[in-house]
Amino acid sequence: MNEIKMTGFQPDDPNEDPLISVRDLHVRFSTPKGPVHAVRGVSFDLGRERLGIVGESGSGKSQTGRALLRLTAGNGSIEASRMMFDGMDLMKAGAKTMRSIRGSQISMIMQDPKYSLNPVLTVGTQIAESCRRHENVSRPEARKRALAMLETVRIREPEKVYSLYPHQVSGGMGQRIMIAMMLITNPKVMIADEPTSALDVTVQMQVLSLLDDMVRERGMGLVLISHDLNLVSSFCDRVLVMYGGRIMETLDAKHLDRAQHPYTKGLLNCLPRLDGKHDDLPVLKRDPAWLDETQDIAGEAGGR
Amino acid sequence: MIDIENLGIVFGSGKSQIAAVKNVNLSVAEGESYGIVGESGSGKSTVLRAMVGIYSHWTGTIRIAGEPLKAKRSVSSRKHMQMVFQDPYGSLHPRRTVDDTLSEPLIIHGLKNREDRVLKILKEVGLGPEFRFRYPHQLSGGQRQRVAIARALILEPRVILLDEPTSALDVSVQAEILNLLSALRKTHGLTYIMVSHDLAVVGHLCSRIAVMNRGEVVEEMSEEQMRSGNVRHDYTRQLWTASQGYDRAALETFKEFA
Repeated sequence: MNEIKMTGFQPDDPNEDPLISVRDLHVRFSTPKGPVHAVRGVSFDLGRERLGIVGESGSGKSQTGRALLRLTAGNGSIEASRMMFDGMDLMKAGAKTMRSIRGSQISMIMQDPKYSLNPVLTVGTQIAESCRRHENVSRPEARKRALAMLETVRIREPEKVYSLYPHQVSGGMGQRIMIAMMLITNPKVMIADEPTSALDVTVQMQVLSLLDDMVRERGMGLVLISHDLNLVSSFCDRVLVMYGGRIMETLDAKHLDRAQHPYTKGLLNCLPRLDGKHDDLPVLKRDPAWLDETQDIAGEAGGR
Repeated sequence: MIDIENLGIVFGSGKSQIAAVKNVNLSVAEGESYGIVGESGSGKSTVLRAMVGIYSHWTGTIRIAGEPLKAKRSVSSRKHMQMVFQDPYGSLHPRRTVDDTLSEPLIIHGLKNREDRVLKILKEVGLGPEFRFRYPHQLSGGQRQRVAIARALILEPRVILLDEPTSALDVSVQAEILNLLSALRKTHGLTYIMVSHDLAVVGHLCSRIAVMNRGEVVEEMSEEQMRSGNVRHDYTRQLWTASQGYDRAALETFKEFA
């Protein structure tokens, strides 16, 4: 907390309106096997901070992130009593308004750069394209800005990397290129869906430090979606723990040890530790009652 | 039980030649659980693939229980060493039932009492007999990995090679699979070599860890060193620090190891 206050902004400033405010978000899918209720009443606020959403597969964490950009698949439907972004009602926004928000105001980084970059265009072209699509700039200007962005994400020879194809770059560099592409429009909010899961640990740290800089220097809001509770708690300011489409608990990342909910405790305990002991790991026991609990407490008190 | 001397593997030729593994020496005692960690491209999986016979053009010597391995393996020598792969979604045949998958190694090795063996091994890996005639798509990720472990175990091998057995699984499922692996090792007296990029997972299961970088073993860590992080080589220290979570200050000291 102290670190952040020194850099000039306070995520907990009550006078500042949150960048994103979500109340009672539901995402439902209709599938051949019947309806699936993926997100069940999620509420949270995002300020200029690093917010982590943690959960296992199927917990609805990615669907929560996608619903913010209305990127839910065609067979899904989104419902929310409130979904505001910077004074705009995302629930009422039309397809055209959403297109102008996606990428320029709220960007998203996906898990694997291998699948999110176009394999037949050079990476530089793709970064410049994202710039030209959202702002009215000339080609040479877009190229200049793309090169500057590559430098910002600490790519050593931007000129050389600009003309490479996605298959010629490593995983860590690919993810930096994705970040460059997403940041070139100067978005207010970045949603990062497992941005580092496909990367080696040291590269993972480097990519996270880039995102960290963006939050500090540009006052961006960051939503980091991950399954790695330890990583998220060491990186984020606040953590939402999700299970079965619900928020189980909202925690201050510095005080993970004060987790109250049995699910959070279970998740923490089943992680192997580097303590040289080889005892059996405690196995997480799930309680169906967690899915029915009224989570108003998390929505109101945890939202801020 | 396992002795590897001067193991080297080279891919490609001429200018595009890459030495994936250079001069690796390992020695693992019977019943021990040995770990190999490293980042992508460090050659850790290649070592396992050479041992199990997927690559045959390695140089050096690999001795299993004193017997040196040859490039061409006999069927009976393959029985003693089995491997579990990383991705349970990719390593099981989608159109074969669990029963077919588990029976195939028994047919290859001409073992009798197939039904009894399949039922017994399913029970051991914590799956009931109701799973016997299911297809992989009817199983969860954790259940598939249990089938993959059962397939390796059904030949009653002495050595099991684990290539990132839990990295495709959720943390709670990972805990169950790690517990299963350590229980099986105790009951059967198995020798494990486990490869992973996750230092904590290897540290949990193994009592000694080799750290690999660019095809070479840079250091061997003991249990005490895993706890304290008191290691000699800079690369090992960097890996250890990175696995402790996000730390801005420590990141400044990170460097590339060529």
